[in-house]
Amino acid sequence: MSERQPEMHERRILGTELLWAFGVGVLIAATLSMIVFTALTMGINPPSNVERVDPKMLHLSGEFAEHNLGTSVAADGSVTARVIATQFMFVPRCIAVPQGRPVTLRFAAPDVIHGILITGTNVNTMVVPGFVAQVHTQFTRSGDLLMPCHEYCGLGHSEMWATVQVLPEGAFQPDREGRVSCAQR
Amino acid sequence: MPHDSMIHSNQPSAADSPFDVADEVDEAALAAVMRHVPLGAGVLAGAAVALLVLGYLLSYLLVFIPRGTVG
Repeated sequence: MSERQPEMHERRILGTELLWAFGVGVLIAATLSMIVFTALTMGINPPSNVERVDPKMLHLSGEFAEHNLGTSVAADGSVTARVIATQFMFVPRCIAVPQGRPVTLRFAAPDVIHGILITGTNVNTMVVPGFVAQVHTQFTRSGDLLMPCHEYCGLGHSEMWATVQVLPEGAFQPDREGRVSCAQR
Repeated sequence: MPHDSMIHSNQPSAADSPFDVADEVDEAALAAVMRHVPLGAGVLAGAAVALLVLGYLLSYLLVFIPRGTVG
């Protein structure tokens, strides 16, 4: 073997590594661009609401008092569902939402950290005592969706789940106070 | 000659085990192999990463995006 060959091999290997690093850089840039593109054009973002609420007073007054829980339609037509996540249930246990309309989901917890996801959708957030967890979404298909607690919250964690009833536009009828309950089936 | 490590067990040598004895490698043959090593490593790693990226893209485009907006 001539003395120049090892040097040539090293140079070739360095060239391969640089080419690989360039390829990986392109892949990472493409992936990040795709995420930013869908975030800007389709509104897909991680929920990032920072809003404080007093967990000791949650059920006594304010937005999460018992009479104000569930789905309500405001005068401007916006739909908001308010849910309390507590050991070991959601209140209310079923929330009705319209299909194909923007919906705001707001969650609060009085005791420990909970988490929710809605099956078949991208809705997924933690529910931390002292903060309001908020998710904006739009349900594309009607039907009953399962909403389990996905953060271990105690011995009854596996029993903690609720139902999200996605109603077609015609079936989503608010009452005189603008409230909508789940249809009894 | 039969292998008998007891003969010099207090003086262990790499030559005791036939696996530790260096192969007789022809330098020209080694150089020929080394010419292809970076390409082979690149093809293997490239195929693995391509499969990974393909899996990511398929789940992103066929599962995540159709599930709708969230934020």
